[in-house]
Amino acid sequence: MRGAPFLLAFAAAAAAAAADFSHEIVPILRKHCAECHTGDKKKGGLSMNTRADLIEGSEDGPVVKPGDLASRMLAVVVSADKDERMPPKGPGLSEAEVAKLRSWVADGLKWDEGFAFKKPAYEPPLKPRTPELPAAVEGRAHPVDRVLDAWTAKTGLARPAPASDSAFLRRAHLDLIGLLPTPEETTAFLADSAPDKRERLVRRLLARDVDYADHWMSFWNDLLRNDYAGTGYIDGGRKQITGWLYAFLVNNRPYDAFVRELIAPTPDSEGFSKGIVWRGAVSAGQLPQLQFSQSVSQAFLGINMKCASCHDSFVDRWKLKDAYGLAAIYSAKPMELVRCDVATGRTAEAAWPFPELGQVDAAAPREERLRQLAALMTHPENGRFQRTVVNRLWHRLMGRGVVHPVDAMQSEPWNQDLLDVLANRLVESKYDLRAVLAFIATSEAYRSRAEVLSADADEGAYVYRGPRAKRLTAEQFVDSVWRVADAYPGKIDASVVRAPAGAAPPSGLVAQPVWSDDLTGQRARLPAAGEVRTFRGSLAVHGAVKRAFVVAGCDNEFELWVNGVRVASGDNWTDPQLADVTAHVRTGRNEVVARARNAGSKPNAAAFWAQLHVRSASGDQVLATSPQWQWTESAPGPDGVVPKDAKWQPSAVVNQPGVWASAESKMNQMVAGAVGGSLLRPRAGLLKADLLQRTLGRPNREQIVSMRPNELSTLEAIDLANGAALADLVDRGAANLLRRKWDSPSALARHVYLAALCREPSPAELAVAAGMVGEAPSTTGVADLLWGVFMLPEFQTVR
Amino acid sequence: MSRPPPELDLSLPEPLARREFLRMLGAAGAATLSMSAPRALGAESAQRVPAKADACILIWLAGGMAAPETFDPKRYAPYEKGMSYSQVLSTFPSIPTAVDGVRICEGLEGVAGVMDRGTLIRSAFQPDLGSILHSRHQFHWHTGYVPPQTVACPHIGAWMARVLGPRNPVMPAFINVGQRLEGVGESEELKAFTTAGFFGGEFGPMNLPYPEEASAAVRPPKGMDPGRFVNRDREFRRLVDASPDRDLLSDHQRNSMLRSMDNAYRLLSAKERAAFDISLEPKEVQQDYDTGRFGRGCLLARRLVENGARFVEVTTEYVPFFHWDTHGKGHETVGRLHKEIDRPIARLIRDLEARGLLDRTLVVIASEFSRDAMIEGRPGSAAKDQAFNRGTTIENPDHYGLHRHFTGGTSVMMFGGGVKKGHVHGATADERPLVAIKDPVSIEDLHATIFTLMGVSPKAAFDIEGRPFYSTVDGKGRAVGGVMA
Repeated sequence: MRGAPFLLAFAAAAAAAAADFSHEIVPILRKHCAECHTGDKKKGGLSMNTRADLIEGSEDGPVVKPGDLASRMLAVVVSADKDERMPPKGPGLSEAEVAKLRSWVADGLKWDEGFAFKKPAYEPPLKPRTPELPAAVEGRAHPVDRVLDAWTAKTGLARPAPASDSAFLRRAHLDLIGLLPTPEETTAFLADSAPDKRERLVRRLLARDVDYADHWMSFWNDLLRNDYAGTGYIDGGRKQITGWLYAFLVNNRPYDAFVRELIAPTPDSEGFSKGIVWRGAVSAGQLPQLQFSQSVSQAFLGINMKCASCHDSFVDRWKLKDAYGLAAIYSAKPMELVRCDVATGRTAEAAWPFPELGQVDAAAPREERLRQLAALMTHPENGRFQRTVVNRLWHRLMGRGVVHPVDAMQSEPWNQDLLDVLANRLVESKYDLRAVLAFIATSEAYRSRAEVLSADADEGAYVYRGPRAKRLTAEQFVDSVWRVADAYPGKIDASVVRAPAGAAPPSGLVAQPVWSDDLTGQRARLPAAGEVRTFRGSLAVHGAVKRAFVVAGCDNEFELWVNGVRVASGDNWTDPQLADVTAHVRTGRNEVVARARNAGSKPNAAAFWAQLHVRSASGDQVLATSPQWQWTESAPGPDGVVPKDAKWQPSAVVNQPGVWASAESKMNQMVAGAVGGSLLRPRAGLLKADLLQRTLGRPNREQIVSMRPNELSTLEAIDLANGAALADLVDRGAANLLRRKWDSPSALARHVYLAALCREPSPAELAVAAGMVGEAPSTTGVADLLWGVFMLPEFQTVR
Repeated sequence: MSRPPPELDLSLPEPLARREFLRMLGAAGAATLSMSAPRALGAESAQRVPAKADACILIWLAGGMAAPETFDPKRYAPYEKGMSYSQVLSTFPSIPTAVDGVRICEGLEGVAGVMDRGTLIRSAFQPDLGSILHSRHQFHWHTGYVPPQTVACPHIGAWMARVLGPRNPVMPAFINVGQRLEGVGESEELKAFTTAGFFGGEFGPMNLPYPEEASAAVRPPKGMDPGRFVNRDREFRRLVDASPDRDLLSDHQRNSMLRSMDNAYRLLSAKERAAFDISLEPKEVQQDYDTGRFGRGCLLARRLVENGARFVEVTTEYVPFFHWDTHGKGHETVGRLHKEIDRPIARLIRDLEARGLLDRTLVVIASEFSRDAMIEGRPGSAAKDQAFNRGTTIENPDHYGLHRHFTGGTSVMMFGGGVKKGHVHGATADERPLVAIKDPVSIEDLHATIFTLMGVSPKAAFDIEGRPFYSTVDGKGRAVGGVMA
């Protein structure tokens, strides 16, 4: 018992030294640490927001262990090393403060139950949830409307008024297929009195496979960093997925399969996961493996792994090891974690960020790991995956994401139930994106008038007041101008088959792929690399020539002469050529000669196509490659003349089904376009970005782009005011319009309004517009009217 | 001096008087700021520092200007058949300049005559980016960031446009002269940095690849006379006024579009558009500048700066294997290039000075890296040797010259606004390797210097995707005090 007072005294002293967390420790941490290590701030990966955060430590491992006075945290607050000391600025902790901290650590890091320096950051639900739908109001039974009507009722705001028929028609066309309706379509829709005409319109538009695919290519190209020209291609450091992507869209294959093929790819879809590699060394955070991590996270989960590719994110919960976990799934070799370009000595473990749903087997081979990631990503319980894509579609149609910005899926939606209703629709439809678009577009919400937006609309919390008007994308603008002006470019750049699988392509191309006849029969062989063949065909034209054009292509290179005039050449089998040869074709016998060369380093398939169309006084005539064409080994001279002693033999049709489908599809479109009457017009989204599209905001697809700028900039406006491309289109449009008969200047003006704005002009507008056309309509007057209408804010927006 | 344009002056149409323009522009400056555009971290004013210059002309010698053949002459070895590459440091003898003791290469007599107006940095250097791709180094030089990057990096001209705004609300703040972006090699890569990046199109470059055709960019479309142009705009405004969209489209969206249309019309009808027409210069002046497209570009740059442009880049143009990309016939090519740049640069400096503009105009002459006859990259670098001829001796005059890419030491010339006069900063070794051995200047520090002189903080930062993005990497670029007056 003698020792008891001493022991008691010691216990009392220890108790006195054991700091009071809320009154003594919190002020110290708040004063010296909070700025960088609480709330959303996690400098060096360290958060002290909660006890668990603190114990978890920083990127470099634990900083403090309960009871451990050797903890790093206690060392750095007294360190004499300027680079090591914490806090890095100011005089640092006083001796008394250090003593308190030490006693607190010694005492086991006591922390008040539930205390956090700041409310923990929002963590979105991962799994799907089934919201309880409020009762339908006034027969508005669409699940989207049931959720939104309940929301508006709660906020006391009025429900948005319905949009006019013409606004809805224009909106649905531009949103779903990216095209303006024709004046005939507009007139028919406005005259239709059926109560379900809006719903039927939506379904009709989404059934237009080619138009749908043409339009949505741009959205997916932006999101998947695919383009027909761009950085990286120069050194083979990038690969297109164009043909694969288009086929998916035109055939409406399910979104989960789509993503599985992007993550665990085929040769046709691997361009996405390969990323973009410029020649030379890159920083650790931009290695192809990290690009994979970033792209997969952003595109499919709305997670920003860019910060975490270099260090634990300061702004959200993703850590360096999360970014490297995904990278390591993709990587063929073990990867060392590199923090801000400094190697850490730790090896990344292949893992994906939601172990709740299962985990990738880090020991499995690469292909298997990718398949596992693809399966986890598209796991039915991965609500995040579903919500991310439906939120993107909602944004495209409604002008603002339910979660906004759409790549910040870690943040709170303004209406969780709405997001879940959309996500569940995706799953119910077996990941049919068109079904989700139809679901949104058939809601009363989508049929509402666009919100009238004030300049400060984005200050404070979002308040739903109906869809928001969207600026036309560059592609929509250009497509719309082409359509109103009825003036199109000759061909597209994208190598795609613009027809659903199994559908008969539009008639046009009758030319068959030919090569020399030694391909068939006894001597069957593949053409040698570098093999050169000369082909010829002839056509007797009966009447006076009005117009003539030729379409030609070759795997791999060709030059083509019409009656001794060199009219076309090409060196890329995916890029067939179209040439107007009206000036070179004559009544009587015409000869087409071509020199074709096979490329490559070993024997490989080769083919040549040519199709000459002649419109003469006595009708249309076609000359197309077929077994009737002849070939020789003799080469033509520069004037296309083949030596007299050449030995000509019949050509053979090359039977390689499907191999050249994209080139044949292109030639098909060229023929159809040149002959006229085909619906398969070129679309801006299938061309390389030209100056006009670039000016109007079509991005360099170096980075993922999920939202285009909504404002018209001054430089864009200058280009619209005086750029050659638009001026030329407007002039051609005026000439085209004036070729038609008009009852009056007003009739022409009304047509322009109907074609461009899907509505009749008001009397005041008609007066101005008809005045611009003039009593004796001139191309300048009509061109100026077209320009004026194209410049209207109403034209440049989808509202 | 400039005269008014010969064609009809476009007076402003009735519905929109000058006052109305200014009112509409007042609120947001000339810029149509996107609601989703990144915001400055901290106050807009915190992105700026007191400026020593109001305008910047960047003279870009694209393709890799060999410092030992221009601003940093080394031991001269005239051509002899069979000479060893190791003998070749400079293929031009040196000449004196207006600054005592400072010599540059023969062929740059004009520039030598104005050396007392500026500072010559001889110790700039670049990182090796592994295999050396010009456009990649150019991306780095123009944005401060090594590609690829996770966000679209703005060009330094876009930084100035964004942080400083236009000097004259009519003039585009960032004008890029002389570089074609279509139909040249690596054009996709060039486009990747010739951009405002995440700042958005409002701050992007106005591209004028052909100086002699620049005026077309600010004229009505081809074939449209000014009378029709004015009339078209008037009728457009009547269509806008008659449109029922007032009720249907919000004021904000509508006004921001119309404001941009007004900005455009304003430039296209303003007196400043004469600045784009170099044919308005006296014949003598045109001839003095006209050594080719580059020389004409320098004249255009002067006119643009006189009329309120903020940042103008003038380039000799990057085309792979042409101009300063001297992989073959180095000596002969550089001799020609001397002629191309010498007179226009000297004249530009003198003209700016004569107009009292040089004190507030910063002129920077730079290139993505230097060249050497023997070393690719830097000593010890793993960069792939891209010289055409890799023998040890020179058997042919075509092989006489500096044909390899060298990143260890480069010259940058700076004139005017806020830089020391008649000063040399830093030095490279006199014998191979010709690396910077004194006061080395990195791209980050060079940018910090340019930005600081122009009044942009090297720590200027914008919030992009929830993280800070700085005018110099991590805000760590430090202005080189030794360069500034």
